[in-house]
Amino acid sequence: MSSVLVAEGLFVSWQPGDWVLRDINFSLAAGEVVGIIGSSGCGKSTLCLALAGIIPRQSPGQVEGKIFLEGRDLAQFSLPQIASCLGIVFQDPETQLFLPRVRNELAFGPENLCLPREEIAARIQRIAEEMGCRELLAANPNELSGGQQQLIALAAVLALEPKVLILDEVTAQLDPRTCQRLQAIVLDLRQRGVAVLMAEHNLQMLACADRILVLREGRMEEAAASDLDGEEGLSRVYGGGRV
Amino acid sequence: MTAYINLEQVNFRWPQGGQVLSEINLSIEKNQTIALMGANGSGKTTLSKLILGLLKPTGGRVLLAGRPVESYSLAARGRLLGYVFQNPERQFFAPDVAEEIGFALKYRNLSPEKIQERVAEMLALFELEQYAATFPFNLSQGEKQRLALAAILAPRPDFIIMDEPFLGLDWLRKQRLQAILERVRNEGVGYLLISHDQALCARLCSQTLTLEGGRLL
Repeated sequence: MSSVLVAEGLFVSWQPGDWVLRDINFSLAAGEVVGIIGSSGCGKSTLCLALAGIIPRQSPGQVEGKIFLEGRDLAQFSLPQIASCLGIVFQDPETQLFLPRVRNELAFGPENLCLPREEIAARIQRIAEEMGCRELLAANPNELSGGQQQLIALAAVLALEPKVLILDEVTAQLDPRTCQRLQAIVLDLRQRGVAVLMAEHNLQMLACADRILVLREGRMEEAAASDLDGEEGLSRVYGGGRV
Repeated sequence: MTAYINLEQVNFRWPQGGQVLSEINLSIEKNQTIALMGANGSGKTTLSKLILGLLKPTGGRVLLAGRPVESYSLAARGRLLGYVFQNPERQFFAPDVAEEIGFALKYRNLSPEKIQERVAEMLALFELEQYAATFPFNLSQGEKQRLALAAILAPRPDFIIMDEPFLGLDWLRKQRLQAILERVRNEGVGYLLISHDQALCARLCSQTLTLEGGRLL
């Protein structure tokens, strides 16, 4: 399997010199699903933002080390170039939704990729069907519940058909049935060769992951089976940082 | 004798949208601990906002302590009911944690000593003593959730509504908040807890209500 997203000796900070992430080395292959776990505030979102190039391009922060997207140094990509192959869904869907109708939200990405109208319409129909949100297409995102907004933020990113998908704790507001649906979608994406990175607190969601990585005190390591089993392991994973 | 919170044949629809809630009849007593569950978009948050009078029903009525909820001023309603938003940051505005907790007390004719005493009590109950002087936005997610609860409970409301208070918390921090909610319950404060987590609802609440397609099952 070829690696589509690689981090080498990655350090990330929000304040100069105060590294949230230290010496992160990992790679994500096409068709691979990787989960990231760790305590609230351990740097999962920071990692997602750095890998998507949002730090330092749109959010102030410092990144050292290398990130490669499809073999090319991420520093050489513009944000639109990144967006054409990497999609990210944020923790808080409200930061992602800004258009008057759900249909517009789903069309926005493909329109910016300059896809033909018919193709955009077909994608919207397909994604809405898969995500079970067809009846919401005409709704105003502001009038939807938190969970529905999360679903739309996800659908809007899936409409871009990214090769790399980063999901930053997207299940927090989803009901159990929608979580199951998302799990099926992730497995389907995997079959189609999409690389998926999921930062998650919901360990059941990670049943579909090929590997699970733990972030602890800014460093990354592979999760041992015992980390996810029983109070002792979970205390090890989540024990760091401020409670 | 009517219950503390009474919803009679309540309906709600958005001006240009579809029906969100239909024919909701519900009675809640002050010290009850109730879980409100249901799929995304089933109307959980809308129902909680109707109870508070933040939204007006398009049909039926909501009574609070025997009177229509809209007959109370917003301040009077705030003295009876506390509401913890889905995103706790939305309710912070004070420069530090202690002031955030004490803010509502300043308008209750309490002496500065009494306020200080109550703030200290809440800081201890919610394990926030070491952050008394911290800017609320610099707290961790778990600390923010605890601060939101502390600020809401400080003026001793009769009943609180919590909209997904466990959102964004990991296993350990959920456990911590759960232990604190058990303490709140033991103090005799009733609450309505909105959550998707069935196990947590079963532990923290004596009764579960489920919304489906805008109706209570």
